[in-house]
Order: sequence, then C-alpha cells, then structure tokens
Amino acid sequence: MPEIGNVKEQVTELFRKHHVEVPQDRKDLFNAFIRDNNTVAAIQAISELENLLMANWKQQDRIATIKGQSVRITNASVGKQYEAKLDFEQLGWTDLAQWKFEGLEETGLTFEEEQKLISGKPALSGEVPLRFLFKLEGQAEDEPFNEKVITLTINPDPKSLWKNLVSDKDDPYWKEDDITVFEPLGDKYILASSKRGRSHANEGSFREDDFAFKSLENGWSIVAVSDGAGSARFSRKGSDIACRSIVQYFTEEDAVKSLQEFDQILAQLKAKAAPDSPGKLNHFVYNTLGKAALTVHKKLEDFASKARHSLKELSCTLIFTLFKKYESGYAFLSFGVGDCPIAVLNKDLSEVKLLNWIDVGEFGGGTRFITMPEIFRNEKFATRFSFKEIEDFSCLMLMSDGIYDPKFVVEANLEDVTKWKEFLEDLNGRNDSGVKVELDPGNKDIVQQFSAWMDFWSTGNHDDRTLAIVF
Amino acid sequence: MTGEPIEALKNGVQVMISSLRQNPQAIETAFISIITFDSSARQVVPLTDLASFQMVDIKASGTTSLGEALKLVSNCIDNEVAKTTQEQKGDWKPLVFIMTDGIPTDDWQSGLEEFKKRKTAYTVACAAGSGADSNLLKQITENVVSLDTADSQSIAKFFSWVSASIGVTSTKVEDAGQEVTGLSELPPPPSELNIVT
Repeated sequence: MPEIGNVKEQVTELFRKHHVEVPQDRKDLFNAFIRDNNTVAAIQAISELENLLMANWKQQDRIATIKGQSVRITNASVGKQYEAKLDFEQLGWTDLAQWKFEGLEETGLTFEEEQKLISGKPALSGEVPLRFLFKLEGQAEDEPFNEKVITLTINPDPKSLWKNLVSDKDDPYWKEDDITVFEPLGDKYILASSKRGRSHANEGSFREDDFAFKSLENGWSIVAVSDGAGSARFSRKGSDIACRSIVQYFTEEDAVKSLQEFDQILAQLKAKAAPDSPGKLNHFVYNTLGKAALTVHKKLEDFASKARHSLKELSCTLIFTLFKKYESGYAFLSFGVGDCPIAVLNKDLSEVKLLNWIDVGEFGGGTRFITMPEIFRNEKFATRFSFKEIEDFSCLMLMSDGIYDPKFVVEANLEDVTKWKEFLEDLNGRNDSGVKVELDPGNKDIVQQFSAWMDFWSTGNHDDRTLAIVF
Repeated sequence: MTGEPIEALKNGVQVMISSLRQNPQAIETAFISIITFDSSARQVVPLTDLASFQMVDIKASGTTSLGEALKLVSNCIDNEVAKTTQEQKGDWKPLVFIMTDGIPTDDWQSGLEEFKKRKTAYTVACAAGSGADSNLLKQITENVVSLDTADSQSIAKFFSWVSASIGVTSTKVEDAGQEVTGLSELPPPPSELNIVT
C-alpha cells in the first residue's frame, strides 16, 4: 500500500496536469478523497503501470543499444582452424540472460553457448551475416529472442582461387610452361627444372624464367639461369636469348681458345711460376667473362632492334657458371647480374661458397638486368665475376628468385651452410608434402620426382621457379 | 567530405576489399592501410593484411589537411613498410591512392616535400567533384583522375578501377620491382573517370 503522503503527492500532480485546483472550501473533501480506498488502489495501479512502462522502455532502449553496438569478430579463412570468443565483460553484456547463434551451421562453424566461443573450420567463404539471438535478464520466458546481426568475414582459401590456364602456343615467343630435365654434364650430372609461377598460370601468361647448359670442349661445362622481368612484355624471350647466347658464346672458336689459355694461367698459378699469375688470372676472368656478358647484352640489343622492341621489354637477369675438373680440383668461373644466387657445396657439406653476389633492392623484387647498359659502365662491374677452386663438390646450384625467396628468404641465409643442408634435406623429402628427390644418377624417376618437388606450396611466393643442380 | 560522397566512399572501400579477397595473389600478399584527413589526418586502419582487414567507420568533416595526410603517409611508409636487408625480406613498394573533394587548407607543400622522399610503386590522386583542384594534385603525382560529381555511382566506379589496378600492378611490381610509370599501364579507367593530363 502506498503511503498517504505519496498518494497525496501523486493526486496533486495528477490534478495539476489536468489544471484542477482544490479551493480552500474543498480541502476536507480532498483529504477524504486521497484516503479513500478506491483512490489508494487506483494510485497504486497507476504507479505499477508506470513502473512497468519505464522498465519496458529501459529494456527496449538497452536492446536497441546492443543491436546498434559495433561488434568485431576476427576474420576467418576457409579450411583454417578458427576460434573467436565473445567477451561479454568487454562488450558490457553482463545483463544477457540467454543467447545463441543462427546462421553458423552453413559456414561449418559452431557456437558453444557456455564458453561464448565460435570455433571450427569454415567451409564457405563470404561476408556471412550471423544472427546473434539474445534475451536480457528480466525478459519473460515466452518473449521472443532479440536479434542482432554480426557479420563474419570468411576469406576464401587462396589455393582454391588460383587458376591454371595454359599459355598461348601460337605466341611467337611461346615456351613450355614447365620443363624438367636430367642429363650428364661433363663428368657430373645436371638436374634442372623451370616452372611457370602461379601468378602467370592464373592469367594464362608465360613462364619468364629460363635455363641452359652444355658440356663444352676441353673439359668445360656451362650452366646458365635467367629470370625475365615480370613487368617487361617480352622478358620470356629475353631470358631465352640470354641463356642460349651465353652457351653459344662458349662454343665458338674464340671462346674455346681463350679457355685453353686458362689452363696455362691456372698451371702457372699452381706452380707459382710467375709472380704476376694472380693478376693474370683476374685479368683473364674479367676479359673472358666480361666479353661473354657484353656479347649477351649485344645479342639482346640486336634482337630488340630487329623485332622493333625496346631493350627494356626484354629485361632479364643472368647468372652462369663454367666449371672444369683439374687434377687439383674443380675450377669455377661465374658471372651474375640480378637476384639469382649460385652456390657450390663441398663434398662433405661442411662449406658453402657463393659464386656471385645478388642484386637486391630496398623493396621487394628490386633488381638489375643484363639488358641494362649501365651494368657494364658501373664500377662494380668487375666484382660480378668470380673464380673459385674446390677440391670436389657435392652439388652446384643455380636458382632463380622463385626458389631463393621461399627457401632462403634473405641474403644472410645464403652464407649459412646449415640453411643449405636444410635445403638438401627438403629436397630429400623433409617438406610439408613429403615429396622426395633422390639425387642419384641411377634414379629412373628423378625427373618426375624433381618436377613434383618444384611444385611445393609456399604462400605469397608465386613467381616462376628455376633450379639447376649439378651433382 | 560528408553525406552521400562519404557513404559512397565507405561502400567503395568495402566493395574493393571484397573483390580483392577473390584475387589469390592479393589475398596472399596485399596489406592495406587507411588514412583519413579533414581538420587533421589520422591513420584509421594500420597496415593490415587483406585477410585480417576489417572496415572501420570513416568520418571526414571540416577542413582539408592534405599536407598533414602526406606527412602521415610518409611516416607510415617509414614505419610499416619493411626494407630489404641482409636479415630481412623487404616488402613490395607501396601503392598510394589519394581521394579528396576539397582544396587543401594547410601547408600542403611541406607535406608533399616529405612524401616525395618516399618511394612508391605509383601514386594515383583522385579529384572527386568540382570542389577539388586536379591541377594541384598533379603536383603530387603524374597520375591524376577526376570525377565530375562525387556521387555514389562515380565513386563506386573509381573504386572498382582501383581494385583492378591493384590486381594488375601487384603482379608487375612483384615480379620485378619495376616501376609502373603511368596510367597507361593500368587497366583502362571507366568513363566516369577523367584522366587529367
């Protein structure tokens, strides 16, 4: 029962609202009126209705606030284990009495109400409007749930988005999308593969990498790798010309003769016969390889002008190594421009020697090309050549950045022999897909094995891949 | 920017993100950051990989602090875009898109000086509607486009063109780090976009 003071206050308020004044001669009547049981009961009913009304409003206001609240849940990805907890404390949802999700089933996720946890492996991608259904404390059991839409972004699995479109065979500069070969080379063997990257396969464009090798006269062998610049229209032709013309150069008479000269220089150096032999050797390397590199540049220039392309449209890197077995061990003559490393591992895998330095820019992908005339004028040109001698080697590797980037990531790793051992183990089957290449000349499946290994998955690395292994 | 243009812009960004999520190369490699500028410039979304990116509410009212925005984007490039070192793999050069419907109200030249010191794969500026000065934007970048009116249809077209440009150029930039020098290397813009020469 409301107190008499309250009843008086409320009735007075009611009268004021209705512009009713109680004159002096009606005071007694008014006092009796507010004490009347019917009045007291009516005032109580009004109070109760008012309270109910206010509570209803508060509840609806609260529901509207929750509905309008921005709730972010971490994006999911198809096929990847997902977990997202709704932190009710942080969201200020401590007044929620019941809650559930609808719309999750289709995505392959589930919601644990107790834990407030969405989890599972999503199967479908898209912007999924999840219906979060809730009731506040104080809401009646038979009241319907309130609904709030929370959008969950589920990323597609990029693996499912990559297309593999064949390149146009009628293109004048067409080359095979994938090629893997195994052949004897000098007194060793070469296993080489060049594969079109996913980014090119996705658009049906061409492989821009290339490689070439040959057993030359007089015991020498050569291996070359070139990476055509993705931004250059005809770089696939550039890398083709670069590889083939460097090999061609060393089969010509002048080069054959000059390599014969090297035998004497090396012999003199070994016998310490002439005091100037180290200088002579440097000169020889610089002149012979420098001329070879310049010849490649000129070949590209000629081709560009005949085909009415700009030289830039043929942009490509070039690395090559010549090697020969002497009594004292193997001699390596190398040259490189671009971001493709050449390395040789000694027989017991205790040491790695890098035969070139790589051109890497400040930002991803920045490099230099054999098609750049400034390469030949630059003061660093002489440092692009190297001569190395190793008693015997387990493998010589030339690779494009399509292999270097995913497998070595940064330059510092190239100098680390343990990284090379890991790389060999990777080839030997220690990888996510368990693909193994048995580096044995007697292995009849070596080409298929290597080709399969070259298809390794690496997120974010979708460039053409070329790897040549001499062993 | 308020009203229809800002709503269209938000929508445009959302559509752009959704379409980039369908591009496998973008989803594996692209990162996005958003800077807004009105009376001041704010980085409302730090550089975030596409898969994790979530749209925020964008508000812009009042003046046009383009200079401050150019300074801020320069700082963000310094802090968030990794450079190649012996021990660290560098990121690809950033692509910068600037959209404005007004004339800068601050000392934008000093911001521009800072911005010019940073390397971008390319920068595209868009003058949205008659309130913007495309000739002024020309001083920031060679690549300027303009929209006659900053309505939702034109803005939507601009963003679908931006998405296509990111798709095309991320391949080019990534393959060799080569500069994409001008609009001629981007997909042809829709008719709503006027190329400012």
